[in-house]
Amino acid sequence: MNDLATTADRPLASRKSSAWRSLASKAASGLLTLLPGVALLAFWQWASGRWIKEIYVSKPTAVAARLYELFASGEIFPHLWTTGQELVLGYVIGVAGGIIGGYALGRSPRLAKIFEPYVMAFYGIPKIALAPLFIIWFGIGIGSKIALAAIMVFFLVFYNVYTGVRSVDRELANLTLVMGANQRQLTYHVYFPAAAPYVLLGMRMAVPYSVIGVIVGEFTSSIQGLGLFIHEASSTYDPAGVFAGIVILLAFVAVANFLAGRLERRLLRWKTLTATAPNDI
Amino acid sequence: MNDAVLSFSDIRQDFPAPGSDAGIRVIDGINLDVGIGRFVAVIGPSGCGKSTLLQMAAGLLMPTRGTVHHRGRAVNAVNREVGFVPQQAQLFPWKTLAQNVELPLLLRGVATAERRERVAAALDAVGLSGFERYFPSQLSGGMQKRGSIARTLVYRPDVILMDEPFGALDAQTRMVMQNDLQMLSHNAGATVLFVTHDITEAVLLADNVAIMSQRPSKLLANIEIDLPRPRNVFEPFKNPGFEDAYDAVWTVFRSQIGIRNQPH
Ligand SMILES: Nc1ncnc2c1ncn2[C@@H]1O[C@H](COP(=O)(O)OP(=O)(O)OP(=O)(O)O)[C@@H](O)[C@H]1O
Ligand SMILES: [Mg+2]
Repeated sequence: MNDLATTADRPLASRKSSAWRSLASKAASGLLTLLPGVALLAFWQWASGRWIKEIYVSKPTAVAARLYELFASGEIFPHLWTTGQELVLGYVIGVAGGIIGGYALGRSPRLAKIFEPYVMAFYGIPKIALAPLFIIWFGIGIGSKIALAAIMVFFLVFYNVYTGVRSVDRELANLTLVMGANQRQLTYHVYFPAAAPYVLLGMRMAVPYSVIGVIVGEFTSSIQGLGLFIHEASSTYDPAGVFAGIVILLAFVAVANFLAGRLERRLLRWKTLTATAPNDI
Repeated sequence: MNDAVLSFSDIRQDFPAPGSDAGIRVIDGINLDVGIGRFVAVIGPSGCGKSTLLQMAAGLLMPTRGTVHHRGRAVNAVNREVGFVPQQAQLFPWKTLAQNVELPLLLRGVATAERRERVAAALDAVGLSGFERYFPSQLSGGMQKRGSIARTLVYRPDVILMDEPFGALDAQTRMVMQNDLQMLSHNAGATVLFVTHDITEAVLLADNVAIMSQRPSKLLANIEIDLPRPRNVFEPFKNPGFEDAYDAVWTVFRSQIGIRNQPH
């Protein structure tokens, strides 16, 4: 009790200086994180053409030049648009399906008993193996890639949400009923918030999987898209093009991760608080 | 008894036992009345079905045989007229303390202004004013317990069920909480059914101590504790008459726990 009170009353000056210190340490740790990446790029630039033929590995400056060219000429935009659509739709469909399915099975032991064995059996199948099949079913357009990304995302999110809902303390749920909750209120006040960390974890983990699904689908057979672009670049011995495509994918994932992180911090304030509290004191 | 708020009549409970079809009989015919405004403590050896009895009163478990009546009505669905204080505080970790205490009022459709007032009053009553915006993980165990009690008092349930609420607390906090509970329940004129396995606690707090036997359990005795209030929970033996009351309970209870005589 006293600890908490004294933290609040601490003189302003000392709080300010500690804020500066934490900012400086943050900047320092940021630089430290960048260091290996910069070193790797420098090494790549240096070794390319010296140790390894440039035709195999290209080099950072060439990749940057190629990226600039791709955007300046507009050549990449149709690919970006196609892959972007596939990623977003596949991800959203997979997440929505996973949340609904996981929640339904998590709440109803009867449904779970019937469907769990099937879901678990399908969970074990490497979804990549379905790519050729999906091409046959949904054509070589964006449909097959959306389906592939969606199914990979679905299982991951499903499994997480299912686990999350089942982990809700029965005593807490019962207590809420005694307090006067109906089923809808129980869902809103207990099951959703309790499952939220699992849902968000699943959503975050699903980001790279949606990328894998889409790119593998495009590799297998497609008319347009980043996967196709990378595939063509590699078959014409154009490593700069391959790396340029990979850099764009990286950017996709980074943006998605950033958004997921923001959402997580917002929704799970009660959790992050606990994690950071001891550091402040 | 007519003035019973809560009455257990002829309760039996069988639970399925792992690896046998017969099941296990946990409670074997219990009759117990909780009079209006009374503080009734239930003690008994571990596993005799004390928590099970509370579950039944809250309508979360239907007895295999017999009925629980609340104000004359058979309890056969979740009983929203009671308040439940579990052994662990069980505050909602994703809600602040104030939101936790507010929830029962919200669920019962109490208007915003009144909600705010009653939450403030309840937090004040348990000495937690100023911590409204803390999350449970930022409160100590004792503070969480107080929060849990405030969350129950705030909607003024007809009967308060408490399952070893102070079991997990350290000795000092425990005494302070016992003292607070004695005051709060007395001031509110609350009807309380209080499970514990601490005889001292039972004798200090209760108007009646019900003693259960080992599984399959029956009610061994329902002893009235006639000590004047307020009772001194910090120095139990300074309460006039405490020793006799304790002895009366202990004499019945000792038969239920295996005490081996120490060879001299
Ligand atoms: N849902 C259940 N299924 C099967 N058996 C159960 C169930 N709930 C309780 N039991 C059994 O009933 C008995 C009594 O349980 P209960 O929790 O009521 O005991 P208790 O008197 O509260 O014990 P303690 O003092 O240790 O809390 C135990 O032997 C337990 O194994
Ligand atoms: Mg118990």
